[in-house]
Amino acid sequence: MYRWFLSWRYLVTRRTNFIGITGITVAVGALIMILSIMTGFLVEARAMLRGGLSDVIVTPALFAGQGVPRTPHPALEVIRSDDRVKAATARLTWWGLLAGAGSSAARSAAILNDSQADGLNAVQLIGVDIGTRERASQFGVRNFLTLMGFDWTPPRLQGEFETTELLADLQREPHPWRRGAPVANPYLPFQAPPGFMRAGRQLGFVIVGEQLFTTLGLKQGGELKVLTVVPDPVSGELVTNDRDYIVAGTFRSGENDVDIGRIYMDRLELWDLLGRQHTYSEILIRLNDFDRDGSAVQHDLVRELGERGLIVPVDHDPHTAASQVRTWEDFRQVMLSAIENERVLLGIMLSLILVVASFTIFAILTMMVTEKRRDIGILTAVGASPRGLLFTFLTIGFWNALLGTGFGALFGILGATYINEIESELSSLLGIEIFNRNVYIFDTIPAVLDPVAIIAIVAGAFSVTLLFAAIPAWRAARLDPIVALRYE
Amino acid sequence: MQDPTAHGAAGSDPTGPDPTGSDPYGQGAFGSTAPVSAGFALPLETDPRSKPAKPRGAGPLLSARGIQKSYAIGERKIEILHGVDLDLAHGESVALVGASGAGKSTLLHVLGLLDRPSAGTVELGGVDTWKLSPTQRSALRNGQIGFVFQFYHLLPELTAIENVLLPAMISNSTAGFRRRRAGLRQRATEMLEAFGLGQRLKHRPGQLSGGERQRVAIARALFNDPPLIIADEPTGNLDTQTGEDVLELLFAEHRRLGFSLLMVTHDERVASRCSRALEMVDGRLLTRR
Repeated sequence: MYRWFLSWRYLVTRRTNFIGITGITVAVGALIMILSIMTGFLVEARAMLRGGLSDVIVTPALFAGQGVPRTPHPALEVIRSDDRVKAATARLTWWGLLAGAGSSAARSAAILNDSQADGLNAVQLIGVDIGTRERASQFGVRNFLTLMGFDWTPPRLQGEFETTELLADLQREPHPWRRGAPVANPYLPFQAPPGFMRAGRQLGFVIVGEQLFTTLGLKQGGELKVLTVVPDPVSGELVTNDRDYIVAGTFRSGENDVDIGRIYMDRLELWDLLGRQHTYSEILIRLNDFDRDGSAVQHDLVRELGERGLIVPVDHDPHTAASQVRTWEDFRQVMLSAIENERVLLGIMLSLILVVASFTIFAILTMMVTEKRRDIGILTAVGASPRGLLFTFLTIGFWNALLGTGFGALFGILGATYINEIESELSSLLGIEIFNRNVYIFDTIPAVLDPVAIIAIVAGAFSVTLLFAAIPAWRAARLDPIVALRYE
Repeated sequence: MQDPTAHGAAGSDPTGPDPTGSDPYGQGAFGSTAPVSAGFALPLETDPRSKPAKPRGAGPLLSARGIQKSYAIGERKIEILHGVDLDLAHGESVALVGASGAGKSTLLHVLGLLDRPSAGTVELGGVDTWKLSPTQRSALRNGQIGFVFQFYHLLPELTAIENVLLPAMISNSTAGFRRRRAGLRQRATEMLEAFGLGQRLKHRPGQLSGGERQRVAIARALFNDPPLIIADEPTGNLDTQTGEDVLELLFAEHRRLGFSLLMVTHDERVASRCSRALEMVDGRLLTRR
């Protein structure tokens, strides 16, 4: 009985113990808080990095392969017949140079003569299938039938909106520090912006990344010039092609590279700009459950599409075959790995802080055993066994570990939960912006509490503390009672 | 954690109710005893509620044979005890006198099972103590031996009553102590009240005078009702009057409870109060009377 009683009494009467407990509390709390924030960053970053990408991307080696179809329909048919596939659509992508300021002639001059100027940008031209016509007709039919008293669910479209996050990017509020100009109707983005007056020329509409829009000083309803270089289908020589477009509006993905380096247009519009050669360059696929089926679908599609000659088959060139079907994680692997590595690195570094805190417990208990030598002698004289003494001092370590990890877990969980409130208070108190929302893109500090990680941290901290407490406890048990009794 | 053999040697559970009804600190044992000059109450033998000394059985309680103790300091070996033989009968009080450095305290530590002899045996209640495991020996010390030290040796973090309860805390499991807590606390309170410390129950040793601390230490030594009390110069750190009061208390308890008392002292007057006196000379034990 005395072991629990005495260990608790020694704990509460020696203030140095509270230094140890505070150390463990801070270490465990910080570990939980930082790991929660890093997990939050990882989750948010995954969502953000995934934003512009679909689950699986099929990129047939069109220009290298022989006999690969020029239209996406055969491949789309195969892909859409798979039960695991939720939606699939084709995309055409190419590269172009862009100039926005001034007249059409001035923009051309900028592209040709001023390639280093701020007004010129190399961008990715993305031709997408929105299904504008189908969407508009579905909208009309549903309105009519609703008016007539019928309930009608239109067949599901399979376009860009169903496979990527483009719709969300179109609907997102503009960044407060940039000049965003969201499209009037995100569902029908390649439409004339409000108040737009055609000046006689029939120009296509494009949607521009918000940051690009700001950098180039574009205007909603204004014109921009796109210049591309494409191979001539007959001679094979490279030819340039340029065209003016109307800016229908902006999108905001939150990812800097995308918002400054992309413009969207209708796929057939881009096909026309590129000299009506290939109608698509990739097929985007959204799965019902990517985490479950992602790898399997990827593997199956390499085989099935290859067997049908829709992509370069495995037996022709295994390396090329595999590289034609990739998941979104394959594209973002470097970035995701970097965040994950950072998380692991921070975890290791903070664990070292925990070890330092445990050393404090070790030092405090060692000091206590030295200070309490006479008590150890008295306890031995009164009948305490060496094992009982070991347990008594180990129990002091146990209380330190229990209180330290308990308070630490509480502190960490509360800290992670209210991190934004804490940041806001600290920022106003210190007069600096601790979390720069412009740098991190996120509007709030993301924090995700992972119960398994919390349990692991608490259990780890508890064990390490107890381990460090065991050494002085063992010394206490081995103390010669005669020497201990004579200690003053 | 109490070893059953240890209790077996004592013949009774030190913390449990005494089936013979001879529990010396039973309810109200010292409740109304009159104060003596020192200002604390003594359990007077004339008190009808005080219990008679209980017989502790035949044969010596403590038997030491051929005790040798030596220490090695570097390559030098220092012999402290040279084959000491000692028998201590039940209820006997023995004074151990001798010059400083003669080996009195070392012998006391060996007999109190705190220090292992280099040679020889120590039997307590017929049990060869140094053949027991450390845990068994600790249990034997807890149940059979009470220590009173010159410097009191109370735990500074505990109150007076908690210090007294310490032997019972050690001999009982957590559940066992919790079950008996009320009874044990009652008994400790009555003991301290009887020793004149009724107002000092919750005082820490640092808040007590030397005499009060030693009385708490005596209460602690007696709490598990051990058959043997070992006292190492119990008045050595007290002034004459306080020392006299403490001795009065100790001998009164000895007469009333019948435990064996082995006491180291420098004071001839103290030695004269014991039934037998032994002298330690250069690690050898001589009989004085």
